[in-house]
Amino acid sequence: MELIVALGLIVFKVAFLIAILLLLPLPLTWLERKIAGHIQQRMGPMRVGWHGLLQPMADGIKLLTKEDHIPAEADRFLFKLAPILALAPPFVVFVAIPFGESISVLGAEITLYVSNMNVALLFVFAVIGIEVYGVIFGGWASNSKYAVLGSLRTCAQMISYEIPMGFAVIGVVMLAQSMSLLDIVRAQADVWNIVYQPVGFFVFFVAGLAEAQRIPFDLSEAEGDLGAGFHTEYSGIRFAFFMVSEYAIVLLVSVLVVILFFGGWNSVLVPLPPLLWFVLKVAFFIYVFIWFRFTFPRYRYDQLMAIGWKVLLPLSMANIIITGVLLGA
Amino acid sequence: MSRAQDRAGTWIGWVFFADLANGLALTFGYMFSKPVTMQYPDKEKWLPYARYRGHHFLKRDDEGEIKCVACELCARICPCDCIEVVPYEDEKGNRHPAKFEIDTARCLFCGLCEDACPADAIALGQQYEFSSFSSADLVIGRDDLLAKPGKAATGGGVVAARLNTKKDVLVETEETQGYNWWRNIRRT
Repeated sequence: MELIVALGLIVFKVAFLIAILLLLPLPLTWLERKIAGHIQQRMGPMRVGWHGLLQPMADGIKLLTKEDHIPAEADRFLFKLAPILALAPPFVVFVAIPFGESISVLGAEITLYVSNMNVALLFVFAVIGIEVYGVIFGGWASNSKYAVLGSLRTCAQMISYEIPMGFAVIGVVMLAQSMSLLDIVRAQADVWNIVYQPVGFFVFFVAGLAEAQRIPFDLSEAEGDLGAGFHTEYSGIRFAFFMVSEYAIVLLVSVLVVILFFGGWNSVLVPLPPLLWFVLKVAFFIYVFIWFRFTFPRYRYDQLMAIGWKVLLPLSMANIIITGVLLGA
Repeated sequence: MSRAQDRAGTWIGWVFFADLANGLALTFGYMFSKPVTMQYPDKEKWLPYARYRGHHFLKRDDEGEIKCVACELCARICPCDCIEVVPYEDEKGNRHPAKFEIDTARCLFCGLCEDACPADAIALGQQYEFSSFSSADLVIGRDDLLAKPGKAATGGGVVAARLNTKKDVLVETEETQGYNWWRNIRRT
């Protein structure tokens, strides 16, 4: 009986997470277009619903009813597989992400995470690495020059930036003496990691921007020179898969930044409910992502590589060494 | 000395991303500025100046009689040959148009008909919303031209509007000086 309850709880949590992740792009696209509009002194979507609130719905219906076109010379199997490969890893990662300690519902304590892995951080990096396959397959299978170039760029970019990203979190792991995200947050109860690890945060955030393929590092889908990059040939629901995956990664990077460097659900100044604090912090970083997008121009490809290998990698390594020396002293 | 200080300052700025922070501050400021968008045709629309050359209209004199004497000068001067006038003589012996058709699909709104008219009967007004799904609808007859709104005394302002108003009315604006398009543009 207990087993069934526990299993049912896990299934419920997973279903809830999937629902949130699938529905989140709706408000996020609206927010992104609104912020874009106001930064550029426009109004953004105004005509569908109150201040365009139903615009994402209209876009979703449009995407669902559009023709799902597969190019004639495309590799049909890989072409169909790629959006799923791009979509699944960001969803899987959220299994290991805690959203808080626990809340009590009807007298029962319910933990706010699906699983508390002791190597959660490693799991996150391992699974998010798979996401690049979706992009590469998508670009390769489309049999289009733009798509192949876009996916080549993405491949190089993802690999270059995963290394400094991985190094940047080692400082955090050293401080918390654990790779469990739950323990990392608990270790920040008094002082957030941003105080001890400002360089680590900087490297992680920049690499996260690149991992999420957002401006200023959205080389893989640079509209100006590549059409739409790896998803040039995608339309309809498969294109929507890529979009959902992109927003899921934006959410993931924001959540990771908050958990690793900004104290997770630990409150500061105002004692709000922990979950609310967490959501507020994550919302702030999602806003920063959108804000960056409409402030900065895109870096050139060689600049992107130079930043990754010549700036971020040495910085993150120096960060590890200095953290180690200071911890040992 | 000061040059060395400048260089040091530049380096410190680079290290702390002063330029990036400047850009972010600028866009953040713009986020709370007023949009310059005019929400046509949902909320507001622009009433052009009185000198604007919009849809033609025919005038009546004080007795309510059509001013046009069907001299066909407008049809002659029209560079795109879009005016067709057929005259008739009424019981008092005055010439008037039996048929006065303007093909607005061909019209280029040069206003030469207005200049050529000896009887001050035709003019171009401020109405600019007369698009149609059929080019046959764009051939406007005499009675429709008589019913069109004339020139407003004012213009160059923005008036409240609502989508799908079929009304053919002349709107007067309060701003006689014209609309300040630069009202919300930030100049630094």
